[in-house]
Amino acid sequence: MIESQYLPQKVYVEKQSFDFPLTKRILENLSQIPIEAIENPRDLIENIRISRNIREKGKTYLLLTRQKGEFVKPCPCTPYYIGCNYFIINLDLNCPLDCTYCILQHYLSNPLITVHVNLDDLWRQLDVFLRRNRAGILRIGTGELGDSLALDHLTENSKGLISYFREKRNVILELKTKTVNIKNILKIEPAQNTVIAWSLNSRRIAREEEAGAPLVEERIDAARRVAEKGFRVGFHFDPIIRYPGWEEEYGEVIKRLFNAVDPGQMVWISLGSLRFPPSLKTIIKERFPSTKIIFDELIKGKDGKLRYFKPLRLELYKKIIDLIKNWGGEKIPLYFCMESKEIWRRALGWVPKGQESLQAYLSSPFGPLKK
Amino acid sequence: MKKEKLSIDDISLKDERFRISYYFPLDELILSIKKIGLINPPLVAFRDKHIILVSGWKRVLACTELAITHLPVFVVEEEDELEIFIKAFYENLATREFSLLEKAEILNRLIRFGEDEQNIVRHYMPLLNIPRTLPYLDSLMAISRLEPEAKRFIQENSMPFLPASLLAEFNPEERRLLFPLLSPLGQNKKKEILENLQDISRRIGTPAEKILSVQEILKIQSSEKLSSLQKAEKVCLLLKRKRYPAFSSWEESFESLLKKMRWPKEITIRPTPYFEDEEFSVTFTFENKEKFSANLLKLQELASREEFSKIFSLDYSFK
Ligand code: SF4
Repeated sequence: MIESQYLPQKVYVEKQSFDFPLTKRILENLSQIPIEAIENPRDLIENIRISRNIREKGKTYLLLTRQKGEFVKPCPCTPYYIGCNYFIINLDLNCPLDCTYCILQHYLSNPLITVHVNLDDLWRQLDVFLRRNRAGILRIGTGELGDSLALDHLTENSKGLISYFREKRNVILELKTKTVNIKNILKIEPAQNTVIAWSLNSRRIAREEEAGAPLVEERIDAARRVAEKGFRVGFHFDPIIRYPGWEEEYGEVIKRLFNAVDPGQMVWISLGSLRFPPSLKTIIKERFPSTKIIFDELIKGKDGKLRYFKPLRLELYKKIIDLIKNWGGEKIPLYFCMESKEIWRRALGWVPKGQESLQAYLSSPFGPLKK
Repeated sequence: MKKEKLSIDDISLKDERFRISYYFPLDELILSIKKIGLINPPLVAFRDKHIILVSGWKRVLACTELAITHLPVFVVEEEDELEIFIKAFYENLATREFSLLEKAEILNRLIRFGEDEQNIVRHYMPLLNIPRTLPYLDSLMAISRLEPEAKRFIQENSMPFLPASLLAEFNPEERRLLFPLLSPLGQNKKKEILENLQDISRRIGTPAEKILSVQEILKIQSSEKLSSLQKAEKVCLLLKRKRYPAFSSWEESFESLLKKMRWPKEITIRPTPYFEDEEFSVTFTFENKEKFSANLLKLQELASREEFSKIFSLDYSFK
């Protein structure tokens, strides 16, 4: 397994953030990297935002600062489509990988790789959040505004998160990644309510559209090792992308996945096809002039995002679902990210009645979660 | 700044280093000068023994049209061209709105006179109501570097930023083919043609020039029966079909089913945009109870036909 771990060219530390244990840990792990103390991250962000190659430049800098607002938020999902009632922890912002289709290019105005270091506030906020949400099972993750494990060799946050949630009865923690940064995970005693999940794609999409991410084979191998250690694992085929030969190549990945990882350890597989707000198209066109994925038959969906014309999406989903079922995934809960009722019904044969029914479905592999 | 009265012939209009306005109509200004005279004197500067115009091209050209021989001017004494240009910029900013092309020319001059790129983004772009980002600056710079024919097209068609910057992404030969197609169309359709053409070109890796030179398009364009608007609309539809083949075939199937059913014109039936939802909507107007009932009866009759159920089948294989 090739582990190419992210190292920034420079670390900016907000002056008030120096004393946090997480800052100290990160700086220890980056002892060779130049550090600059800054008064106000906003000025730095503003300067980078009006320079050339903002995104490329942003990825070379690590900013350590405090989360001044809420750490925990409901996943924004998308209006008019079925959401999956997911909560996100905004611990890290941005990602050292550079996928062409990455929504963060459009969504985050701060281009720097940013770590919020005030973990005490996080635990406090989580305590309150969990006290308020005792009914049903919650799913919560850190992989929405960044990759959950891409910075884990520096932050070691996976350890803290897994031990915090291990004690909680009604929460499933998901750490979602494209990396093979699993050293810390492999050192931790598996927790029943933690899922380590990988975003997978066909080899060609991974190679051409997911710069900096490990090969799909390596991701699957990392998943195998984590599953063998005893963790539950999840997978996200998202975004599924059409191109000549997609069916065969997605088939190869699915076959490889089921040959490598015990389906009994897989708790869910999500599917989502390529979708993005129209303004991201301009960014992608400019940053990745050789990509062709944005020129396929993408229409404006109900939420204003560009997505494949419905019958094309349905074709993608049906074939991938068949492949998953044929290779041994018939019992694994499958769900869609941001899809319509019609797609659920036609591709999966059922439509969740509400967020609770979807929650119950997705938590079914866990059985009753115990202390 | 000194105020002077100069002979209009002494002002060298050949030196356009400070010029930001091109291809403008003069009628209203001529009328105004005729009525109330030249209120706001142009700015000039001395360069290499010549008097050159810093700002006020429209005013000077209007005066020339009116055969005015002498006019009041302010003489700018600064040496630094950036300083002079900034002065002229603020003079204009206070009195009028800039067109897209003028904004592009302003940014071009700021760069040419040595203003720092970041400073332009930070200070000048917000003053011009342009988002403060370098990609916007780059797009406007590309517009400012276009050949005169393209600039004239943008100015005379009052093209907004998006279609204009798309137009700038084509090469001059492609633009030449595009002008007659674009000019009869509204802004949205202009943008649609440009976007579709660029997307098709990038997807199949064929230059836009080649796509526009296929037999089908050449035939439409050489037709003597069609007006220029009809030609443009036909090409627009053709490109849309190429850009969205599956969606277009659904749309055509839907339309042909309605035709087959002889769906009455006074009752409209529509799918949701891009057939994204399963629902359809039906609308009709009525002025009395009888009309209303007649439409309902007609709808009932339509619903009882076998073809009607095909509207709901996901696979529009009928044609
Ligand atoms: S891994 Fe995820 S967060 Fe990182 S660049 Fe790719 S899409 Fe964006």
